[in-house]
Amino acid sequence: MSSRRSRQSGSSRISDDQIIELVSKLQQLLPEIRNRRSDKVSASKVLQETCNYIRSLHREVDDLSERLSRLLATVDADSPEAAIIRSLIM
Amino acid sequence: MRPPTSLKKEFLKKWIMGLQLCSSSKKEMSFLERKKAIKLSADVAMASARNATTRWSRALISNASKDDSNKGLVECILGPESESLKRASMSLVLCNKRNRSKKISRKSCSIRRARKSSSQMVMASSIAKRLVKKRTQVLKSLVPGGGSMSEFSLIEETLDYILSLRAQVDVMRHLANVTELLNRK
Repeated sequence: MSSRRSRQSGSSRISDDQIIELVSKLQQLLPEIRNRRSDKVSASKVLQETCNYIRSLHREVDDLSERLSRLLATVDADSPEAAIIRSLIM
Repeated sequence: MRPPTSLKKEFLKKWIMGLQLCSSSKKEMSFLERKKAIKLSADVAMASARNATTRWSRALISNASKDDSNKGLVECILGPESESLKRASMSLVLCNKRNRSKKISRKSCSIRRARKSSSQMVMASSIAKRLVKKRTQVLKSLVPGGGSMSEFSLIEETLDYILSLRAQVDVMRHLANVTELLNRK
């Protein structure tokens, strides 16, 4: 099986160990899997959690952009706080 | 793993540059326009903070530059390195197109080989492989520029992309909280 995989990666000759190391690093990042503290997580589960996590991060960026858009629009024009924000951003 | 402060600082600098450019160019923006501008500045700033060292950042920048209305913003955030960065992203896109056709012929060969041996164990492992393949495809669609990466590069890029996204979310959240606090006073 390892020979098949090295054939697929072509000339780069990535070892199985390197892939396992990367996947375990990915596991460390994922909040759900990290909390469960089990060593035996299948590759497909890691991939699934990764996709879910990236999607939730995208959603957060989107929500935060909306929130900032609303906040920056309603900054009271004359307050000194507005001047701070204005000098920073606008 | 907390995102490094240097990355956040770099991102914040570039993001604010982009936001200043947006608000100076258009006096009255609709809610959606402003949101798009904020999001675009944030994404491009994050990608440029990685300094073209990762494929996802180059892909993100080249995608953003394709739209004419974004070009000015992208160039401003990228700064003086913008020309060389754009050239790097363009060449990446061309190189990917070539690699894609090679990949497809290799994939069909391995599928034919799996079908020939029909024992129970191979069935179970081929189902698992198909699941991994399917999920890898989804991941490729989520990571910018993922469509033409090898599995190894994809995982590497995903690691970096997740760390960058986290840094982006942290900084954006802090700015939103600060703005809200200032507004309340």
